[in-house]
Parts: sequence; C-alpha cells; structure tokens
Amino acid sequence: MDLSSQRQAVDGQVEVAFKVNGTAERLRVDPRTTLLDALRERLQLTGTKKGCDRGQCGACTVHVDGRRVLSCLTLVAMVEGREVTTIEGLAEDDQLHPVQRAFIECDGFQCGFCTPGQIMSAVAVLREGHATTDAQIREAMSGNICRCGAYPAIVEAVKQARS
Amino acid sequence: MRSVDREDGPVKVTGAATYAADHHPDGLAYGYLLTSTVARGTILAMDTAQAEKAPGVIAIYTPFHPLELRPYAKEENGELTPPIQNTDVRYYGQAIGLVVAETFEQARDAAALVSTRCDAERPRASFTDGLPSAVGTSVVDVLADGVSSIDEALDAGDVTVTATYTTPAETHVAMEPHATVAFWTGDQVTVHTATQGVRLVVDRLSETLAMDPARFRVINPYVGGGFGNKWDMWPHTPLTVAAARALGRPVKTVLTREQVFTVVGHRPLTAQTVSLSAARDGTLVAVKNDGVSSKSASNGFHEQPANLSLALYGSANLHVSRKAVTLDVPATTIMRAPGESNGSFALESALDELAGELGMDPVDLRRKNDTPVHPATGLPWSSKHLAECYTVGAERFGWSRRSPRPGTVTDGDWLVGLGMATATYGAGRGQASINVRLRDDGRAVVSGTAADLGTGQSTVFAVLAADRLGIPVGRVVPELGDSATPPAANAGGSGSTSTNGPAVQLAADAAKEALVKLATEHEKSPFHGQEVTFSAGEVRSGGDGMPFGELLTSLGVAAVEATATSPRNPVRDHAFRSFGAHFCEVRVNRWTGEPRVTRWSCVVDAGTIVNATTARSQIVGGVVMGIGQALLEDLRIEPETGRFGNATMADYLVPINADIPPIDVEFLNYPDTLLSDLGARGIGELGNVGAAAAVANAVHNATGKRIRDLPITLDKLL
Ligand code: FES
Ligand code: FES
Repeated sequence: MDLSSQRQAVDGQVEVAFKVNGTAERLRVDPRTTLLDALRERLQLTGTKKGCDRGQCGACTVHVDGRRVLSCLTLVAMVEGREVTTIEGLAEDDQLHPVQRAFIECDGFQCGFCTPGQIMSAVAVLREGHATTDAQIREAMSGNICRCGAYPAIVEAVKQARS
Repeated sequence: MRSVDREDGPVKVTGAATYAADHHPDGLAYGYLLTSTVARGTILAMDTAQAEKAPGVIAIYTPFHPLELRPYAKEENGELTPPIQNTDVRYYGQAIGLVVAETFEQARDAAALVSTRCDAERPRASFTDGLPSAVGTSVVDVLADGVSSIDEALDAGDVTVTATYTTPAETHVAMEPHATVAFWTGDQVTVHTATQGVRLVVDRLSETLAMDPARFRVINPYVGGGFGNKWDMWPHTPLTVAAARALGRPVKTVLTREQVFTVVGHRPLTAQTVSLSAARDGTLVAVKNDGVSSKSASNGFHEQPANLSLALYGSANLHVSRKAVTLDVPATTIMRAPGESNGSFALESALDELAGELGMDPVDLRRKNDTPVHPATGLPWSSKHLAECYTVGAERFGWSRRSPRPGTVTDGDWLVGLGMATATYGAGRGQASINVRLRDDGRAVVSGTAADLGTGQSTVFAVLAADRLGIPVGRVVPELGDSATPPAANAGGSGSTSTNGPAVQLAADAAKEALVKLATEHEKSPFHGQEVTFSAGEVRSGGDGMPFGELLTSLGVAAVEATATSPRNPVRDHAFRSFGAHFCEVRVNRWTGEPRVTRWSCVVDAGTIVNATTARSQIVGGVVMGIGQALLEDLRIEPETGRFGNATMADYLVPINADIPPIDVEFLNYPDTLLSDLGARGIGELGNVGAAAAVANAVHNATGKRIRDLPITLDKLL
C-alpha cells in the first residue's frame, strides 16, 4: 500500500477517498480507524456488524474490489481509491440479491447479526466458483461464525442461490 | 402446522435491522470500559492524568470519581452491586471505570493510558479444589414406603452404575456484543440496549438511578442472540445511561469481545455423581444425583444440574442434592437450558452406561422407564408423547443399524458410532398483555414488550394474529422490544410463545370486537345499527362485506385497538414439560482421535408448533450449541490468576459451519390443551438438552471409550 499518496493533515487525521456501494465518499479520519468503524460510525452504514473486531468471526465481511475482506482488520486508509460493497449495496432497485432471497427462503439465520457477513461471504464464495459440494460450501463458509447455529440452512441457501 | 418465512427476514438480509449499537443520535460520544487485571483485591489508585489529557477525552469515571448508582433491589441472574461504587475487585475483567471520548478510537486509546494499582489477593479459582468444601443448599429425597435411605434403595437393584460427570464453564458468545446507547431529553431517557426484555432494563435502571420507571423508554426490537446472557442488565448499561445524563449528550458503549467474556456472565462449571439402580428388566428402582455447581462471589446464581433427575424417568426412589463452590470469577448466569443442559449430560450418559450393563438397547431402557406422571410429584403430565418421539426418531434415523457392541463399526479410517438421548425442558405459561391495532391501511399492528432474539417470536405474533383476523401474515406488523407497549413475557425459559401466544389471540379477538362495535355504532358506518360479524379480515352483514381497512378509511378513523391480558396458567393438578429424542452418528478418526458429528435426527413433542420454519431453526440451533458443548466449548479459568485463559473467539471454540451435519427435525405437534387453548409449550432450550449426551453416547458406541468430562476433545480419545 502506498501511503505517501495520502495527505496527512496537521491534526493527525488522514483523508481517504473511496467508493461505497457505488457512491464516492471522502472522509477525514483518525488513521487508527478501521474500515468497519468508518462504515458504521462515520457513514452510518450499520448493516456491517462488529462481532469481535479481531478477525475471528466474519460478521464484518464486506467486498473490496469484489473480494471478501474482514473490514475490522482493514484500516480505512487502506481502501483509498477502492470500491467497497456492503450488505446495503447488494440489492438492486429494491430487488433482493438471489443470495438474500435464498437466506430468507431457507431460514438461513435466526438473530440476523452474523447474516450480513454470511451473505457477503456467500456471494463471494459463489463467484469464486468452487462451492460445488456441500463439504466445500461448509468449508468455504467456515470463516463466518453463527452462534444461533443456522449452518445447515446456510448451506441450503448457498445451494439454492447457486442453482 | 404452518411454515412461514421470518417476517423480519427482509430487514435482516439487507442490513436494515437496527441493533442497539446501530443507533447514532446527534452529538454522540463513545464510552469504553476499563476492566480489572486482577481477580480479587482492592484498587488502591487509578492514575487517569495522562488519559485525561489525551485527544478527545470528555470524562473518565472510576471508583475515585464515580457516577452514583444505587444498589439493585434484586438479582436477575446478574450482579448484585452496580459498578464503580467501591474499590473492591471481585473478578478478573470486572468493569472498574468508563472513559468517554469524542470517538471510539480516542476512548479506546485513552483507556489504555489509565494505570491502576491494586492490592491483589490470591483468588479462589479452582472448582476442583473447592469441591470438598462445596456448600449445600437443599436435598430432595423421594423414597418408597419402608425404604429408609437412597443408598438402601440403590442396593436393592440387580444392576447399579455410579459415575461422576463434569462440565466446564461455558459462555454464550452471542454474536452481538452487548451495547448500550442512551440519550436524555429533559428528565426522560431513551435507551437502546441489547436485552432479552426491555422491561427488565427499565426495572434495573429505575432502581439504580433512583428514578421513576416512567422516565425510561427502552427500545430494542432486534437482538443479536441472547441465550440467557442478555437477561439481566450488565455494568456498561447503567454507566452509559448515567454518563449520558452527567455529560448532557448521548453516549454509546459497546463491549469489546474480550469484555463480553468477563463483564457479562457465564455458565458455571458442574460436577454430578450419578447412581442408577435397576431391576434385570431395566426398571429403575433408584436414581441418585449429587450435583455441584460453581458460583461467582459476585452473585447468587448457580446451576442445579441434578434437578433433572427428579423429572425425567420413573423410579420409586429418587435423591437429588445441590451444592455450590464459590469462586472469584465473573458472574455466573443462566445459559440456554440452565441446569438441564448439564443435568442431561450426566443423566443421559448414565442411562447409556446402565443400558450397557444390562445388555439392553438404550431406547428400550428409556421406554421402560417412561412415565405418565412426574416422578417426584406424582402429578400427571399434561401431554406427553415421548414414546412416540423414540419410535419416530429411531425410524427416521435408522437406529436399528446400531451395533450393540462398541468399537465394532468402521468405515475406512473412521470408527462409527450411534448414540441417542432424551430431550426435555420444563414448560409453563405466565401472564402477558398484548395490544392489537387495526389500521386504516388494512394492516394489523401487534405490540408488546416481548423480544425476538432470533427465536422467531415476531413471526409467531404475525402468524397468530393473521390467523385470528383472517388476513395474510404479511399484513400483520409485529412491534416488539419497546417498553412503551403492554407488558409481555421477556425472552427466556422457553416461555415466550406459551405465554405471549395466547395473549396475541385474545388481543386480536378484542380488536375484532372493538371494530364490530365501531361498525355498528358509528353513524356514518354502512353497517350502522346492523348485526355484523367479522371474518377473513372483513366486517360482514348479510351478504355484504367490507375489509376493515376500507371501513376505517371511509369513517376517517385511523385505527381501532384493544389490549388483552392472558393470565398465568391456573392448572395445578398437572405437570408441564416438553420432550424429544435425539439420535446422532459420530465418527472418530482412529489415528487422530478427532470426533466428527455426521448425522442427526431430533423428534420434538412441544405442543402446538405455531411456525415450523422458525421452530425448526430453534431446535437446530439448540442441537448445534449442544454439539459445541459436547466437543468444543471450555471456558478455562487459570487457577493462579482467576483469569479466563481463552477469552477470545479464536480461543473459545464454538461450532463453525464445517462442524455441523444436516440436522433432521420432526415435530409431533400435539396441542397441549391443558396449558392453553393455543397448546404451545416451548422450544428454545429443548433442542440443547440431551444433545451433548447423545454425542457422548455415540462416541462410546464408536470407540468403547466413555468420556464423562466435557468437552470430548481428541486427547481424551487417543
Ligand atoms: S468483527 Fe471482523 S471478524 Fe469479527
Ligand atoms: S443468525 Fe444469529 S449469529 Fe447467525
């Protein structure tokens, strides 16, 4: 990452420009700010969840340039010039994404707190194209903890969205 | 049985559902807790000078500069004393202060600059060391005529097994860390806080802030899992509310995941010594269970795991004792199926051991001791179909393929075993009030202080109201988790649907009556002065009908509403309990000892199932947590320091997707009409009870190894 291109303001803040769900954003932030906290506390995109803030649960999964990323382990300064997609950006024109629909139809969640992260992972897993067996889906979705235990239904939802 | 998609599905899959920490009132400041790094002692000094000078810091509260909080009137499975009112340290990771700053980053970094000096004492942190001095609370003996002691009864059986079963501390790890956002408007405060019951928060806050309950509005419609951990109110909540008042601006405090491990409670450790004695034909003649639980020095809650032994199998002689070992650890609290989850691990493992000694099939042994009456009280069960659970489950699962000889079935590198256990959990019906409002847009709003922790409660409200009103489920708007609505049941003890469900039905009926009254009495009503009825969402008279929304619109009335209260269950001459049967297959790798659960069937007898879709997820969730309990979960207390040694989500293992096989769930769906007209009991805990024992029994069947100490990790199988 090239930080030299970023202007460091006198008050210790950094300026970051990036796209979120297609919208250009420009923020002056404390350099310690994670992408997760910038989304939640600065942009009020609270669909992305903080389950651990340590890269251990997957609740904060978003896409950066189409790849799944843990936003709690990503400083917002690192997404300068990049394209971030969050759960709020998945549905198009009020049409739920097929993965979102499948999660509802398969009841792939209970409390819903892990769900944005599960769905962002599932969308990427399907795009990655190696979720061909149940075992592969389970493995590929294992970075996202669901304490409610919706795992079997999550596997069903990924399969349904795949077909 | 209806199968309806979760009503809150669309908001949960789009990120639109607002959990406590998602609120962001204008002028928000951020709180960050300070926590103790010794387990027992006295705080001598806290140096906050450097932190106070750090950028963005607004205030730092400590025992030396406290926010005044009054003692709680009573304990609800949480701590007895509010935070930072004195310098006592009772456990490692205790809240000892709050830093408030302009941003989360500033608050967190300033917290790291506070240094605390303590006079530390050695904590009591070993459950095992404390066992000999465990303090007893009560003993129950039910003895047949002429029998003088449980030991005499045990001696009279043909076959006896005795063993001790131990379970570690566990913790809930709800995915949503506890969070509180508070803002004041004059002398009124609005609080968004993760809770299983907004009314509980109002009660606790009004006690500790010494204010009229009417001045609190607690709103929390979406909860990111609870499992018992969001029942009581924990220290960050009163601190945040009091800080917001002191500072005159909104404050948000979200616990870090590490803080969640200590600031809020955990499930205690337990040890149970179980003796079962049976006649040759399998009839139990004596059941004895001496149960011990750990207990925090900070509060009174401990589990009574042996109690389940009084309620499940018929036996002429029963004995249960309950003791506790006090430790200097964070609060011990309720976690999914408190007492019964651990109690069933011991009892159901012991049954399996007895079946082995008798040379009997474990299902046959349970059938033999199935009883139509509560074993300790003699009261008949209101509705019990446990035998059918065994039959249906055995059939669905293919139980007949089980080899009675352990360690004899292999598949490549894997030893394969089948196990089963009974599931059960107590049932009841409390008092609840619900409001139903019929609106001019044709929708019906159903409201009450109930909580949906992911349980499906809001969808249950929608289904019950829709059926009562004869309208599509999608036209019902459930409003839960707002303290300004009528007092309904908090989410806990598998009592939400059994308690709130009948109230939803009564309130819908009352709203219909109110509408009929309006239709006949309103002068402009086309039904004025006529005989009218209400069905399928319409007011009808003769051949004419009009949807209620249309009628209200034509009259210029925005809504009619009614509140109804469903009373506590008055029935005293029956006992109430849900039942079920778990069947599972476990494979143990013969070289590494790694255990994997590979198949599961669960048959449920929990009365009427209002919505099979969400009910199935509840049972699956309970089983998944049971698999975690069986194979993974172990909150380790370091005996020297009293610190939880694995207080992160990377170190405290819970099941992940790859750990869980497909889970087959079948509902018998017999209404329990003695409990209510609705006939629904409860399902939140049921799937969890017995699950760990089913795994342990399958491990034994696979390997011949009987593991009596959870979790069943591979080192125990090598
Ligand atoms: S919050 Fe990022 S992985 Fe848990
Ligand atoms: S739905 Fe609750 S944690 Fe996954």
